[in-house]
Amino acid sequence: MKPLHRYLFFTALILLLLLLPQFFTQDYYVHMLVMAGIYSMLAQSLGLIIGFTGQVSLCHAAFYGMGAYISALLSLNFGLSFWVTFWLGGLGAAAAAYLFGRIVLQLKGHFLAITTALFGIMVTLILDNWTGLTKGPMGLPGIPRPSPIPLLGVTLQFTSRTEYYYLVLVFVLLMAYVTYRIIHSQIGRAMIAIRENQELARSVGIDTMRFKLAAFCIGSGFAGIAGSFYAHYILFISPVSFTLSESINILVMMIFGGMQTFIGPMVGAITLTILPEFLRMTGALRLTLYGLALMTLIIFFPLGVVGSVKEKWFSIDETRS
Amino acid sequence: MRTVFFQQVLNGIVLGGSYALIALGLTLIFGILEVINFAHGEIYMIGAFMTLFLSTLCGIPFLLAIPISMGVVAILGLIIERAVFRPIIGKPMINGMLLSFGLSVFLMNLALLLFKADPRSLDSGYSHIHIRFLGLQITLDRLLAIIVAITLVGLLYLFIQRTKIGTAMRAVAEDREAAQAVGVNIARIYSLTFAIGCALAAAAGSMVGAIFFVSPTMGWTPVMKSFVVVILGGFGSLTGAVLASLILGLVESFGGGYISYAYKDAYAFILLLLAFLLKPEGLLGGSE
Repeated sequence: MKPLHRYLFFTALILLLLLLPQFFTQDYYVHMLVMAGIYSMLAQSLGLIIGFTGQVSLCHAAFYGMGAYISALLSLNFGLSFWVTFWLGGLGAAAAAYLFGRIVLQLKGHFLAITTALFGIMVTLILDNWTGLTKGPMGLPGIPRPSPIPLLGVTLQFTSRTEYYYLVLVFVLLMAYVTYRIIHSQIGRAMIAIRENQELARSVGIDTMRFKLAAFCIGSGFAGIAGSFYAHYILFISPVSFTLSESINILVMMIFGGMQTFIGPMVGAITLTILPEFLRMTGALRLTLYGLALMTLIIFFPLGVVGSVKEKWFSIDETRS
Repeated sequence: MRTVFFQQVLNGIVLGGSYALIALGLTLIFGILEVINFAHGEIYMIGAFMTLFLSTLCGIPFLLAIPISMGVVAILGLIIERAVFRPIIGKPMINGMLLSFGLSVFLMNLALLLFKADPRSLDSGYSHIHIRFLGLQITLDRLLAIIVAITLVGLLYLFIQRTKIGTAMRAVAEDREAAQAVGVNIARIYSLTFAIGCALAAAAGSMVGAIFFVSPTMGWTPVMKSFVVVILGGFGSLTGAVLASLILGLVESFGGGYISYAYKDAYAFILLLLAFLLKPEGLLGGSE
């Protein structure tokens, strides 16, 4: 796209996103949009780790949960405002990612995948069993809403879902901007080099561990911020929201959209948050169909839907991993 | 005090035996198909249900029901391998992982729909018989679990080391293309490996189901722990997997008995992290 076209396109897109809640009168649809926003943050931050740096992490939901719990516990126990705690949630998740990443990012391929999966399970176990702090499976109720802030002469109270929608939109756009800047910088090019061939990257002087760790910490920190937002939006959190299944769910969104693209994970997150809402059924039947759909997707669209369409129609080979 | 100690050792060996049976299947499937099979726990669960139905509905004695269940589950494994895993062999590893996860979710929830979530007891008829030996006491079903595990591990070892097909399996694990070049029928090795892995899981599920209970979600936790075993034992090493299974079984048994029962499922992961911290080169020796 030419710069002018691109500029017009993004202006139109942002206008549309700003006006979107006006088209929906039902609260429930606005809720779906907010959830789509949260999953966009999660899928995109995972995209930075897996799609761009090639490090398969199966514990994204663990960092999402850490952010949620840190933020919720700080506001419940110390009365801190969301505007402080979301930073701390993000930083806490990033710090945990640093400590864990230092050890496991030396691993590759299947070993990394399975070890991160096991780490995610361990975090869920701790959340479930450290009842003194987390109240275990009972969860944490009564998390306060963000305190009101004045914006352009209006005071946002965060009592309606529409206000939350605008807040999540700001979060998603800021995070997307930071991600965009990262992947189009020298850091991003180093990350892609590591994804394509780690040994080669090291041989041309890229400190692979440093960049892998950077991607892991930034991605996990963003997931922590998304978790904090989730906690102060739903106002209740419990360990079941942050299990391995949730990590895989985010992974599927990212792959569905096309993981090695900037926009793909967000497209995948929005589609897969809203689409299943049309199939509202009881738990087990719904999950049975989810499993079946996942298998069909992988067998027939191994490159993800966007990736497969791209390969078929544009025959651009950029989906190797 | 000493009897409590040895009781924990025995419990640890029983646990370790079941992990070994699961982990051997996982290792074989990983080594040959290069797939991390998250659905292995559901195969284990199906094996347990098969034994349960054979013994309660058909009245087949427990010890006979296990081999039948293993056979049926092996056939199921053949079908799954052919229909689900064969199409994605050679594709990026993340695809195989997601595929097996989808299969796991599908099978577990299908079982929840069909069999309902309540745990059922599988009565082997041996759980009330106590055997006393040197002041130690063990129920016959636990003793049988140990014997079955040892027998199956031994048979598998002989099969892989001594038969022609076993040699072919090792060759495929070593180098897929080279094995194909010297005339190994790879498709048949894939099917066979998957079927053997499934049969071992079915045996483990039946034995554990008889000691504890049978339910649609019973497979998830033991299989995740068996992944720890597979990593600790060095991916692809059968001897390593068996040793690591025993270590994990003992650690869990002692940890559950002396430290904290609530965290008994966490010991596996703590063990894994400790291993990473203390001996990263041993684990890295197995990385690609």
